[in-house]
Amino acid sequence: MNLEDRIENFGKILINHRIKVIFSTLIIIFTITFGMKFLETPSGYRGFVEDDFKYYQDVLDLEEKYGNIDVLTYVVKPDTGSIFQREVLNLIHELTEISWQTPYSSRVSSITNHQYTTVEGDDISISDFVEDIGMMSQAEIENLYSLAVTEDAVVNFAMSESGKVGLININLEMPDDINFKEPIDFAWKQKEHFEKKYNNVYVGVAGSAQFSQNFQSTSESDATKMYPSFLLLTIILTYILLRSVVASIISLTVILLSILPSLGAAGWLGFEVQPPLITAPIIILTISLTHAIHMLSIALTNMTEGMTKNEAIIESLKINFSPIFLTSFTTAVGIAGINFGDIPAYSEMANTVVIGAAIGFILSVTLLPSMFSLLPIKARKRKSYVINVLQKLGEVIYKFKERFIIIISIICITVFSLIPNLTFDDFFGTYFDRVPAWLEVKNVVDPEFGSSFYIFSDVQSNETDGITSPEYLKKLDEFESWLISQDEVSDVSTISDVVKTLHKNMNGGLDEYYKIPDDKALIAQYLLLYEFSVPYGMDLKNQMTADKSDSRMLIRSNNNTSMQAVAFKQRVDEWLNKNIAPYSTEGVAGIPIMMPHLFVENTRGLVIGLLITFSFIILVVGSALRSFRYGLISIVPNIIPFVLGFGILTLVTSMVTAAHQFAVLISIGLVVDATIHFLSKYKKALSINLSPQEAIQYCFRYVGYPIVVASVCLFSGFLFLTQSMFYYNFIVGGMCALIILIALLIDLLLLPPLLLIFGKKA
Amino acid sequence: MRYIKLILLALIFFPFSLQADTAEGVGLKIAKASYENGRGFTDMVSDQLMILIDPKGKEVIREVSSKTLENLNPDDGDKSITFFKTPKDVEGTVMLSHTHISDDDDQWLYLPALGRVKRISSSNKSGAFMGSEVAFEDFSGTDYRKYDWKYLGEKIENDETFFILESFPNYKNSGYSKRISLTDSLDRTRKVDFYDRKGELLKILYLEDYELYKDKIWMANTMRVENVQNKNMTIFKWLNRELDTGIDKKDFEKSSLMRLAD
Repeated sequence: MNLEDRIENFGKILINHRIKVIFSTLIIIFTITFGMKFLETPSGYRGFVEDDFKYYQDVLDLEEKYGNIDVLTYVVKPDTGSIFQREVLNLIHELTEISWQTPYSSRVSSITNHQYTTVEGDDISISDFVEDIGMMSQAEIENLYSLAVTEDAVVNFAMSESGKVGLININLEMPDDINFKEPIDFAWKQKEHFEKKYNNVYVGVAGSAQFSQNFQSTSESDATKMYPSFLLLTIILTYILLRSVVASIISLTVILLSILPSLGAAGWLGFEVQPPLITAPIIILTISLTHAIHMLSIALTNMTEGMTKNEAIIESLKINFSPIFLTSFTTAVGIAGINFGDIPAYSEMANTVVIGAAIGFILSVTLLPSMFSLLPIKARKRKSYVINVLQKLGEVIYKFKERFIIIISIICITVFSLIPNLTFDDFFGTYFDRVPAWLEVKNVVDPEFGSSFYIFSDVQSNETDGITSPEYLKKLDEFESWLISQDEVSDVSTISDVVKTLHKNMNGGLDEYYKIPDDKALIAQYLLLYEFSVPYGMDLKNQMTADKSDSRMLIRSNNNTSMQAVAFKQRVDEWLNKNIAPYSTEGVAGIPIMMPHLFVENTRGLVIGLLITFSFIILVVGSALRSFRYGLISIVPNIIPFVLGFGILTLVTSMVTAAHQFAVLISIGLVVDATIHFLSKYKKALSINLSPQEAIQYCFRYVGYPIVVASVCLFSGFLFLTQSMFYYNFIVGGMCALIILIALLIDLLLLPPLLLIFGKKA
Repeated sequence: MRYIKLILLALIFFPFSLQADTAEGVGLKIAKASYENGRGFTDMVSDQLMILIDPKGKEVIREVSSKTLENLNPDDGDKSITFFKTPKDVEGTVMLSHTHISDDDDQWLYLPALGRVKRISSSNKSGAFMGSEVAFEDFSGTDYRKYDWKYLGEKIENDETFFILESFPNYKNSGYSKRISLTDSLDRTRKVDFYDRKGELLKILYLEDYELYKDKIWMANTMRVENVQNKNMTIFKWLNRELDTGIDKKDFEKSSLMRLAD
């Protein structure tokens, strides 16, 4: 018994037992779907890296010694002038006070509660920098700026150097299960309250806590905003393509039943709902849609040509079974290649799509025929302009085959020459640029402070009380000056700044004493004094260890690209290797170091993944076609869409981000689908002794339409993803849509002439 | 007949309901008794160990010794001198404090490396000192008048009966929103829960090794503070504590600081 007979028997069994098939499928589907309730809420940027990722471990090591690194920041900017206006200072004071109520907060610091030291001889008094604003005269308020700008601990921390923007920094001590929803919800209530109360002042919520929470909030808003409208789009698209209400219902049922259990499986597997996972249902939807359209449109065509309903669907099953299997398989292989990367959120998305593709295939060849047989369907004769156009196109291509090849080759070479302009790089700071509130606050913070993100360095003196030694502090100072001279750094603060300030204050407040004293005992006594007079939540515990052997540097990062940050880390390590002895350090760590290294390692993995999956797919295609020659020919239309796609990308950007790389792996398996359909039909045509010219016409007539339809479905699906609030989803959507579109054009315009010239002569 | 029973019951419970109305009064009474329990020592000298323990169990030990002079004026706070001994770099540093009930404390510090006495006035010293889990206000704030009290009821733990008191700081800049303390039948405070400004439990203080001095004054020789948020622990131990030793009152003046340091 050959394959076709087997499929026919299989089809007959499905139809004879259609009720059983439908019910048992539904039971299995809903059991798997039940797992959706176990989907995990995303753990922000921490969920974006593997737990054992080296640069994340560096962060965890730091946190074990000095507490959680996450900060929630209010950004306060009056519409006009500086923050030194009565209204604005009142706002900052009130917001500072209420911030102590923030869930999980451990410290709150701002310009108003900055501990300001005034010195009169041997009398030292320490108080809040801004007290009783109501009692201050206008002149006193205006004078505050000139005092503030000389305070090390204020500039670039509680206010920008220009005085135009103030920050209220809240350190959060999170429980092990880190979820910023509570503090962020609290912060947003304050933002709304204070913006209403002081309507000429902008209050924004920033910091790594907001950055982290963006992962969750964009996932939620994407899901609620994108899914309903995409479903509507699918319903319309399906009806336009099938022109049958019942067939559309069957197709939608199959699609939904592919999506639900794949999300259920994702839940059973403990996946997190990170923004990339939100794209999985849409990708699964478009893939299943193309299967359903292939199956249903051929069955409907068969009916218009006089077959009975059951004959029509069995015939369609016979024609489509192998291509649907093969295309599902290549799609799955391509997307599974994402597992070679280093970002768990993307691997989870990829694996969900792979599961969805598998379920989609199974349902298309089981549930779909059973439902088709069960439900009343009438097929209407369709006038298809598309098929006419395609047939004409086939004739034109045959006539001008050489010119097509030459013109497309010229285009390819021209565009290809642009590709060297591209570099692998990205910007984790742009992840949420499509979220208006985040972009708004970023546009206030970044020009004044560099960025919202901090880098840390733990410098160990290797002895108890070692950080009070002048040599140690001078080394910190040296490291600090070197760091400040780097483009990647906007500000640095160290424990040596605290000591210098103390030395100055202990010597009548004279600027000439703003330096590190030479006496270790004196420094130890200064710190003792300091530690006796600090207010709640302002101790040095997040800057030094209790035995005073190690201290932590705080480095405010500029907005660096990944490659800049990686090179910066390398330079830091080199400098430290040369200069830090006799002290020791693990170097720098933090979000601005971790995310760029994630990008680099991910890229390394994906490039390998791409090479492996691409070769594998070529092998699969070649062996499915049982021909070395056609396997070789198939490579051309499968590579060119990527070359052209990335060439066109150079017109927009020079950065190939992780998202662009993911787009390649997601689309590679989809791009080959059309080639498989076209080549297998072409071979079949030759085998029934058609001439190459007739074979091309045959292909355009029989697979041209399904290829166009499938590409349109995929193109719309991916184009729709560009609605996402998550920048990477936007890129994946746009890039995949572009590649699918180019692939369609290449399959129609280049593949036929190639076959005519390089294919077997009849 | 049923009504008579009800009326009788109401009469029996009436006094209790009266008492419930004055939970503040009962609280204040117990707090005052507990405070006065530790008074009458005239003066006190002792050595202290401060042991800092991080979540990994790593220990750091700091040593000081101190002298305290009881202020017989009930409206003003005590005076104390603290001598720092270790780490070696702070050896010889002396701190003199005059605590006050309603005003900010006065504080002078003699730094031997600088050779000068510095007067530090700070309105806000609610921060943890010397890397410990203890804030200045935990010591200077033992006076019951710095809080508003409320009696919450009784509790039996390990066959001992404790009074549960809730207290709210009535001074500015406190790091706490409230404290809940357990006082035993001898009016000794045994345990205090500190709640941070947002009302979350921050740390738990255990007062242990109580010793009876001069046959009438109970003093805890160990204070153990567990920070439940950052998981650090600090232990204070009083060694060689002596009461009523007849120290010269003049020692507790600023002018004596440099002399005492030698």
